[in-house]
Formats: sequence, C-alpha cells, structure tokens
Amino acid sequence: MKIRAFLLTLAAIALAPVFAPRAAAHHSSAGFNLQHPINIKGKVTKFDWANPHAFIYLNVKNKNGGVDEWRVEANSPNMLSRVGWSRDIIKEGDEITVNGAPANNGSEVMRLQNVILANGQKLDGQGFSYGH
Amino acid sequence: MARDSVTDTKKERPLRKSAAILIFAAAALLGCAIFSAQAAQQSAPPKSQAKFSPRDLSGVWFIEPYYQTILPKEDPPFRPAAEALFKKWNYEKEHSDPERGPDPAPRCIPPGIPRTMLQPFPWEVVMARDRIVMIFEYQSLVRQIFTDGRGHPKDLDPTYMGNSIGKWDGDTLVVDDIGFNGKTWLDPKGLPTSDALHVTERIRRIDYNTLEAAFTIDDPKMYTKPWTATKRFTLKPDWQIKEYVCAENNLTH
Repeated sequence: MKIRAFLLTLAAIALAPVFAPRAAAHHSSAGFNLQHPINIKGKVTKFDWANPHAFIYLNVKNKNGGVDEWRVEANSPNMLSRVGWSRDIIKEGDEITVNGAPANNGSEVMRLQNVILANGQKLDGQGFSYGH
Repeated sequence: MARDSVTDTKKERPLRKSAAILIFAAAALLGCAIFSAQAAQQSAPPKSQAKFSPRDLSGVWFIEPYYQTILPKEDPPFRPAAEALFKKWNYEKEHSDPERGPDPAPRCIPPGIPRTMLQPFPWEVVMARDRIVMIFEYQSLVRQIFTDGRGHPKDLDPTYMGNSIGKWDGDTLVVDDIGFNGKTWLDPKGLPTSDALHVTERIRRIDYNTLEAAFTIDDPKMYTKPWTATKRFTLKPDWQIKEYVCAENNLTH
C-alpha cells in the first residue's frame, strides 16, 4: 500500500507540469476552484460548439457505481479554433480525459484546462497564454 | 510602392539576373535547388524589424499574454466606496455558483474601456479618413475614435463604451474617453468605475508586430489619484475577426 501511494505521488509529480493549474479563463472565474484542478475520464454525450463557451457533456462513473453527467466548460470556439480545435474534434461516444477546475459548490461542472482526446491527442482547453 | 524599394529593385536588377542564371544552372544539376533558392529569398529580417508606417495602426491585434488585471503594483488608490465594492464583488466571485457572480461582462454587458481591449479576444483597427475604428471580436463591439478635430459632444448620454476623441502626438495616438455610465469594471478583478471615469490612452506602434497602449485611469469618484497601466498587443496577420454572439450559449444568469 505504501509503495502504491509512493508511486501515485511520483506519477502526480511527473504529471504536474502537464496539468499545471492556470489562471482563470477569459471571463468569470467565479465559482471554480482553480487551485485544485482534477482529472476525470468519461464518455462524451454532447459537444456544444458555440460562443461564449464550448461545452463538453460527459458521462462519468461515480463512486457509488452510478453515472454523473458533467458539464465541462472550455474557451470560446473562436479562440479554440485558432489553436487546433474544430467543431467535430470531439464526438458523442468519445472516451476522453479532462483536467480542470471543479465548481466550488460541488456540482458536476468543470472549467477545462486540458483535454486528452480518444486518440491520445492532448489539447489546451483555453488556447492562449496568461499573464497574471 | 515606396520610392525606396523602387530604387533598391533597380540596383539589384543586375545581381538578380546573374542569380537567376546561377539558380537555373543549379536547378538543371540538382533539380531541387529552386526550392532552396526560394527559401533563401524568403529569409527576410525578423518581422519586428519589418518596415511600417508608424501612424498606420491597422491590423488584427491580440493581447499576449492575457493579463487579468490593471491593478498598479502598489494598492490602487481606492476611495472607501470603491474598496467596499471591490471587496464585496471579490467575496461574491469566490462564493458564487459558476453560472452566477457579480461580473457584468459574462452577462453580455459591454466591458467599456480599457477592459474591452484587454479581453483575450482579438480586435481590428481600421483607419478611416476622419476616425479610427476598432472592431472587437468580444461581444462584436465596435468603437469609433474620431480624429477629425471635433471635440466630445456637449451633452453626452452616458454609455458603456464612452465617447472617444483621438489626436496624434508625433506617432502616438492620444485618445480621450469620457461619457461612461459607471456600470462596467475596469478589469476582471472588479475595479469599479463611475460616470466620472476619464480614460486617456497613448497608443503607439513600437515595432511592426507590436502595439503598446498606456491607459491612464482617472475616476475621482472612485479613486484618490490617477494611475497608468501599459499593455502590449501582438499583430496577428493571419487572423480575422469572427462572429461572437454572447447570448447564444450563455448559461450565466
């Protein structure tokens, strides 16, 4: 058990630069816990490609054996399409992993920071660089 | 075409002829030499040193990196009312649900000046005879800066984006903004404004790729003294302004 915890810690450290927490997105960081991003894996039920934010809806298995639907908020399609996204890059049924800031209120809502697509491709969910 | 480049072309003509002969010979021998010659011709000096007319601000500009705040390094000179609002809004931001919060911009309220320019979306400058037009992608806003010598209208209705008059000081465009309605934030952190807000912008193209804007914020109802925040914007020659409908997929309420 100790070894497992150690290995998990190592993995977390190794992945830290990949999933480094970032500053708030372009508007209203209200309600999201930007200090403690989480990873979740699930099956896409809907990909909503419209301004001001693209949304990925994701079915995620929960601890109780049930399924929660998460709403994952990315940047606007306008900016995402300038960094390699397109309206059909994510499809219903895709198994993807998302990393981002969960809602403070405990609801199944996340602000996306990175996504790993079904084909293993990693994409930035905001798509521009931040100052402070 | 500028006179300089015409002269240069004439001077280089004999050289180009011989270069062409050489390239042709090389191509005959190697087949692929034309491609490398083309590549060599394209290796121009860095873009930042490319020639530009300093009073031509036209192009698509983008804030990079995106800064959330225009707060001065030291504490901003809040008046008590402004500080109370700032603290209240920051508390609400921390504790609200993702679809709520005090920030007016996510509810499709125009963010005013300077914040509209500081949003992480590009805007385009179009130079006209009597005005400079900024076409903002964010919320599809348009701003006119009149440069034909007129002053601000005498009896201004307060608006979100204010009224802008521009004058050239050398190669710096100096823009005077008044007529705001006090319903906007100066930045996403929640710096309040009032209808007494007066913004002065000094906008300068410091190289081919870069526009620099120094915003002086003077709002005597909210702050005890003015301060200046300077931001830079990068030219995005391959981008064009896209449609942005704030109300379309908006879950904020």
